[in-house]
Amino acid sequence: MSEAKTCGARVRRRDDHRDPKAGGATDRERRAAADVLSAPVAVAPRRWKFSELLAPPEVRERWEKVRKYFFLRESTYDMTNRCNLRCDGCYYYEGEKQFARENDDPEAWRDLMRREKARGITYVVLAGAEPSLVPERLAVCFAEAPLGCIATNGVRRIDPAVGYRIHISVWGNDATSLRVRKAKGLLGRQIDNYAGDPRAVFVYTFTRENVGECAGVMDTLAAAGCRATFNVFSAPVGYTGPLRHDAASLARTRDVMSGMMDRHPGHVLFSPYNAVAHTEVQGLHDLYRCAYPRRNPSTALGLGRSFRQFRADLTWDRDVACCVPDTDCDDCRHYAAGSAVVTARLYRHATDPGTFRAWLDYVDTYLAVWVMGYEKGETLCQEMIAPPDPLPARKP
Amino acid sequence: MPERMDTQALILRIATIMIEELKLEDVTPETFDPDMDLVDELGVDSMDLATVALVLQDEYGVFIDEDDYPTLKTLRLIAEYLQKKLHS
Repeated sequence: MSEAKTCGARVRRRDDHRDPKAGGATDRERRAAADVLSAPVAVAPRRWKFSELLAPPEVRERWEKVRKYFFLRESTYDMTNRCNLRCDGCYYYEGEKQFARENDDPEAWRDLMRREKARGITYVVLAGAEPSLVPERLAVCFAEAPLGCIATNGVRRIDPAVGYRIHISVWGNDATSLRVRKAKGLLGRQIDNYAGDPRAVFVYTFTRENVGECAGVMDTLAAAGCRATFNVFSAPVGYTGPLRHDAASLARTRDVMSGMMDRHPGHVLFSPYNAVAHTEVQGLHDLYRCAYPRRNPSTALGLGRSFRQFRADLTWDRDVACCVPDTDCDDCRHYAAGSAVVTARLYRHATDPGTFRAWLDYVDTYLAVWVMGYEKGETLCQEMIAPPDPLPARKP
Repeated sequence: MPERMDTQALILRIATIMIEELKLEDVTPETFDPDMDLVDELGVDSMDLATVALVLQDEYGVFIDEDDYPTLKTLRLIAEYLQKKLHS
């Protein structure tokens, strides 16, 4: 099989899928043979039926496993304006949302959760600035909306009665955390608070500067029995600082992600296709066409219809609504964005066995990262499959 | 597939696929209202429609553009869409 280099990792080309019914030859090989034998012979890539893609038992089983969660409809909520850290490149302290007047009435939050449920929201993401500072609001939300996730810096432990997934942000080793987040001994405090907690998933954010620190951090997390997934720093609008990725740092990030999956298979929640989707030079929007309202004018279906990003004053603005507001969309490779944007592109991935398996791995990973009680299965596609061809511009 | 499928028969077939794929309860192909709004009244979303579109694509050999999903709001509209594709 021929392979192309993208971002330093081996990626199988879209037109290179090996057809087992054609004696193992790839489309490209068959095309080359046709060129030799006769002049203008065009060999169209095989069109796989969906039923053929689902035929292998392990694929069918995984499809049935993940589709049970297609009912999830998310929205996100800034819980407070306050934070106990001040990190370089923080999304929250960009744009207008940081100036929203915080609503501190628990009953207003309860009412919001009930209204969200009534309009079909089944999954809540409680984020900005630091949710652990408002435990009473977390309890109210959990009482009304039982499926969700809290994004926290992990400095304060969240009441175990709040049964959401908890994502603990890690931005490098302790020396880097001290420099970028002004927090001393942060990883140890995070582990003290969340080791052994079934809710916890540590989220290692790769920046341009900390790629080489991941192995050490992952060794520490794995030794403590903690599970982790990976995020890729996505610059806020206007950010030009040293954390912003370039092509070389993305390539290194992909290599390290791949190495960590091999080194800590029981502790890393990730797949080869996750690594591809989040480390291409093109961002998620260019690759998959972002479905969040900020980049999607349609209100007919999916995220464009149901997603809202509430500020701490319980208002929302469609023009800035996405999972990580004030991110530069051209640079967005955020794990939360990908979880929705890549997953939503089922149709684009139902093209051939490798691409479909890779997509199933991605969805399986996203569910394990975000949904309490969901366990990730074995990786179905170990190859780094290239993303589908980018979608054309939206129809007016 | 017949040369020109009757709209009613096509609606029944789409209803059957939708019931099977989305595991709908308390409805049969015969009782499925062909004009029911699938999104507003049935709660169908983009992933559901993508699944049904892939099965319909298998069965009828037509390409259903993702950007057309929002227009496929009822069984009747899906049937008309398929008929147009089949005879274009």
